[in-house]
Amino acid sequence: MRRALLAITGLAASTTALVAFKGAPNASPVAQDLPAGQATATPGGAAPGGTSGPAPSAGPAGSPTARASATASPTPGARTSTSSGGTSTAAPRTTTTAPRTTAAAPTATTRKVTGPVISNEYGNVQVQITLSGTKIVNAVALELPDGGQSSLRSDKVDAAYSGTSGQVVQRQSANLDTVSGATYTSNSYKQSLQAAIDQAR
Amino acid sequence: MTAPPARPGLRRVEQIMGTAISLDLADDLPPATLHELAEETFRWLREVDARFSTYSDDSEVCRFGRGELLLSEASVDLRRVLERCADLWDVTDGFFDAYATGRLDPSGYVKGWSAQVASDRLVAAGAANHCLNAGGDVRVRGLSSAGGPWRIGVRHPWDPASTCLVLTGTDLAVATSGVYERGHHVVDPRRGEPAKGLRSVTVVGSDLGLADAYATAAVAMGIAGIGWLDRLDGHLHAVVTDDGRLLHSTALPVDA
Repeated sequence: MRRALLAITGLAASTTALVAFKGAPNASPVAQDLPAGQATATPGGAAPGGTSGPAPSAGPAGSPTARASATASPTPGARTSTSSGGTSTAAPRTTTTAPRTTAAAPTATTRKVTGPVISNEYGNVQVQITLSGTKIVNAVALELPDGGQSSLRSDKVDAAYSGTSGQVVQRQSANLDTVSGATYTSNSYKQSLQAAIDQAR
Repeated sequence: MTAPPARPGLRRVEQIMGTAISLDLADDLPPATLHELAEETFRWLREVDARFSTYSDDSEVCRFGRGELLLSEASVDLRRVLERCADLWDVTDGFFDAYATGRLDPSGYVKGWSAQVASDRLVAAGAANHCLNAGGDVRVRGLSSAGGPWRIGVRHPWDPASTCLVLTGTDLAVATSGVYERGHHVVDPRRGEPAKGLRSVTVVGSDLGLADAYATAAVAMGIAGIGWLDRLDGHLHAVVTDDGRLLHSTALPVDA
C-alpha cells in the first residue's frame, strides 16, 4: 500500500509537470512552485528525448496553459495560483485567457476522457482525466503496474539467492524526501496522459 | 490526497535535460526570496541544457564536437567539463568515456555537475537547507523542512515504484546508475557491448558530477566494478547485482 501511495504521489508530481508542459508547444520548461506542505514529489525520470530542445529563450508569451487546475490539491500558498493577481515572473504559468480549444467553452460540464493503455517492461499504465469545461480538474491512473511482473521477477530472485553472499535486495520505503535513480513507469504515464489530453481537445 | 499543514520552503519541478528536475528549498525564507532562488537555479540548468545538449545541433558541445569551435574559443564551463571528462577517463581506466558513442557526449558528467554547481550556489546565496534531484541524481544539504536529515531512497532495480535502500544525511551527493531505465544502455567502452553483471550502482560522495560518473563507470565495469568502487577514496557505494544481491560499503549512511 505504501508503495502504491509513493507511486501515486510521484505520478501526481509528474502530472503537474506534464500538464503544465503541455501548454507550451515550444517545449520550454514550465515552472511551477508547489507549496512545500504538499506531498513529497518523487521526480520520476521522464522520457528520454522529451525536452532536450533549445529551451531557455523561448518566448512564453501567449502559450495557453492547462496547468493550474491539474493539481488536484488545493494550493494554499498564494503565490502558486496565478489567478489571484500575484505577479509571477515565471511567465508560462499565467493563464492567458483563450485556451486554444474549441468554441464549446463556457458551459462547465464535467466529462472524463480516458487515455490508452501504455505498456512497459513492468506492466500497463492507463490514465483518465476529468475536465470541467476545458479545464483539467483531475487526473488519475486507472492502471499501474503494482505488483505484476516486477514483483514476480523480484520474488524469484529472492527465492533463488537468499542466504548467499550479499544481502538479498529487498523493498524498503518509508517517509522519503526524494529518490535516487530514475523511474521507468513515468514515461508510460506521460504518454497515456498526453493521449487523454489530445482526445479531450 | 490531503495536504499536510503548510511548512516553510518551496518546491518546484521542471522538465529539463530530458528529465524531471525537482528542487526542495527547506529554508524558512520569505516567499519572494525562495521564488527568486528557484528561478535562478532553473535558469542555470536550462542554460546548461542549451549549451551542453547533444540533441541540438547548434549547442556549444555539438559545435565543438564537429570542430567548428576551437578549445580556445570555448566557454570556461565547457573547458572545465572537458578537463573533468579527461580526468575521469583516466581515473576510471577508460570506463567513463565521453566519446563512447563515437562522438563527444559529456552528458554522463554534465547533469550531476550542473546540479552540484546549482546546489553550491544555493548555499552561497543563503539557502543552506535544500534537496536538488536531477533525474535521480540527488544533492542534499542541511535539514529537510521536517527538521531532520534528508531521507533519500534508492530506487529498487526491478520495481520502479519501490526503493531498496534508504540513505540519510545532511551533506550528500547521491547518484544511481543502472541498466533498468533505458534497457542495457551503459556500454562497456572496451568491448562495445552492453555492460552486464551489475543491475544498479549508487555512489555517495560530496561532488555529484563525480558520483554520477563513477556510478556509470562502475556499471560499465560489471562485477569488477565492485572492487574498483571499494578502492575509491572519499566515496561510498551500494551495488545491486544482476542476480539480485545488494552489497554496500559498511560506512554507508543507511537508515536502519
